[in-house]
Amino acid sequence: MTTTTTPATNPTVSEADDIDLLGGLDYPTRRDEAWRYAPHDTLKRLSFGRPARPTGALPRTLEGRIPALDGPRIVIVNGAVDPDRSQLGNPAAGVHLSTLAGAGSEHPELLAAHLDQGTDDGDAFLALNIAYGNAGAAIHVASGQAVNVPIHVVHIALPDETQNVSCSGVAIRLDDGASATVVETSLGDGHHGGTNTRTTITLGEGATLDHIVVQDVESTQVHLGRISVTQGSRSAFRSHLFNLGGTYGRVVYDVRLAGDEARADLSGLYFGQGRQTLDQQITVTHAAPDCTSRQRFRGVLDDQSTGVFNGGIDVRPGADGTDAQQSNDNLLLSDRAEANTQPRLEILADDVTCKHGATVGQLDDNALYYLRTRGIDESDARRILIHGFADEAIEAVDNEVLRAWITERLGHADA
Amino acid sequence: MLHVQNLTASIGGTPILNGLDLEVGPGEVHAMMGPNGSGKSTFAHALAGRDGYEIGGTATLDGADLLTMEPEARAAAGVFIGFQYPVEIPGVNNMYFLRTALNSVRRARGETEIGARDFLAVAHEAMELVEMNKDFLNRPVNAGFSGGEKKRNEILQMAVLEPRLAILDETDSGLDIDALQIIASGVNALRGPERSVIMITHYQRLLDYIRPDFVHVLVDGRIVESGDHTLALHLEDHGYADFVNHDLDDTPALPLAGAAT
Repeated sequence: MTTTTTPATNPTVSEADDIDLLGGLDYPTRRDEAWRYAPHDTLKRLSFGRPARPTGALPRTLEGRIPALDGPRIVIVNGAVDPDRSQLGNPAAGVHLSTLAGAGSEHPELLAAHLDQGTDDGDAFLALNIAYGNAGAAIHVASGQAVNVPIHVVHIALPDETQNVSCSGVAIRLDDGASATVVETSLGDGHHGGTNTRTTITLGEGATLDHIVVQDVESTQVHLGRISVTQGSRSAFRSHLFNLGGTYGRVVYDVRLAGDEARADLSGLYFGQGRQTLDQQITVTHAAPDCTSRQRFRGVLDDQSTGVFNGGIDVRPGADGTDAQQSNDNLLLSDRAEANTQPRLEILADDVTCKHGATVGQLDDNALYYLRTRGIDESDARRILIHGFADEAIEAVDNEVLRAWITERLGHADA
Repeated sequence: MLHVQNLTASIGGTPILNGLDLEVGPGEVHAMMGPNGSGKSTFAHALAGRDGYEIGGTATLDGADLLTMEPEARAAAGVFIGFQYPVEIPGVNNMYFLRTALNSVRRARGETEIGARDFLAVAHEAMELVEMNKDFLNRPVNAGFSGGEKKRNEILQMAVLEPRLAILDETDSGLDIDALQIIASGVNALRGPERSVIMITHYQRLLDYIRPDFVHVLVDGRIVESGDHTLALHLEDHGYADFVNHDLDDTPALPLAGAAT
């Protein structure tokens, strides 16, 4: 593997305070509510830099783990698009699909919006992503067009000695009445580093986006993901998160319902083992009247893993007729696993329906016994019940290949 | 077949079964009746292997010592329990559950597993028995089922698993007369020379549809009277007062505290 970076321009986070790139954004600490459960020592050891272009093949095990979806895909390895593994080609009329850099000439507004969107309350990792994450994918669907195959963006981290976090970006714009499905998969290999991904999404009036994130970097790596969404009137954003990999897997959703009657459905499943910390930081802002939002997140936590759900509903003045709901259910499989759930509600409008609920429980002993009286042994019975708990999130994914991939990954392939 | 001798069960030191003896021969149907809290359900679950009881005495099925087995091993040995309150399991497909159960039992018995297509034939036959719609297989186990559907699902499972001994715990409770008839005809169809049934019930009503060979009266964790089906008719007319009074000396005629499991 070769690298195009030079140590002099290759700051690490520990040097972050000294560099202009961060523009005054501080490295987060445990005192920041949104970073309370993060492994700060691990984060401090991360280093960032310009893309290092890999040469040669991906490790075979990694190559085989990329979900084999029909449709175009863009593969980003260590922050640079890997043309050999990407299949661009436009899937339908009215669709622009290119690398992020390639959007500059045809769709400069995509790139400009990507650089700007959701930066108001960013952190050091967002700044680093803006600085180094200039490789990635740009997706634009013209007014009224429907893309019937999923567009797949794969983020891969193969750390080397000089910088080990792969930064990449995805800019998505659906014009009025357009629809598309975008799948983002994060994978990695190696003993450190990880992925820092940033997705910006703009939905026009009546546009519909299905957005699926599968986070499964190596168990020793870190994933820092951030998805910023701005929705126009009557648009629909349907997202499914599968937060599975990494010693620390963090996904931030910042969804702004900016036009009347827009709808956001966010669902997620996090599945922790070992000493993983899986962290979801969600904020849905109702900034226009009569919008609907749903947050449904489920966690299965085994061993000494930690799950974090920090879910915000922010109803701005004038967003009357808001209908917002949030639920977070956790299944603890071990005495030493931990679920942290924190709703944040701020309501500054009238005629608002806002519901939230959280549960933390264990496997139902009665259900276990019931299955065992039918001859199903204890370990199978546990597996069936865990799958039953996770099933709602998996079944909500339309794509069969992806559903099978997730089911297999969760270790109950025969279900 | 089933030999139960001096079976005792208690929870946290509170005795519920106090030396229960029962012999069930092949093909026999036994009804176990008794007032609330007399230990009927505990008897069923002690045989099925529920956790949390301190158990004494012996119970063997075809010579195998049930009381030392895990619940799944008892199922493989041929024990089936129809739950009074079948457990809802959202997210688990009924068909998947049934096939996993059948194949677990078959594996444990050294038989080959049954494939998806062959299983469908087995399931459809069982569903006809309890007049279930086909969509029923694709619903989550018991979740959102009516009381009658849950009980029919129990009998469906019994039909699929083909047990040696079926213990039906208040299978008639909460059923209207139509559902009761469906359940009863299902159970009757599953009767056979190699299959024994213990029906636990409060009411004589079920026994109008499933004629037992023996009726036992359970009071305070012991069988205090046994007879043929006419005993049930006597109970219908006179209640349990006779048995409660003559058998228990000074003990009040109320169930033991905490015994209503």
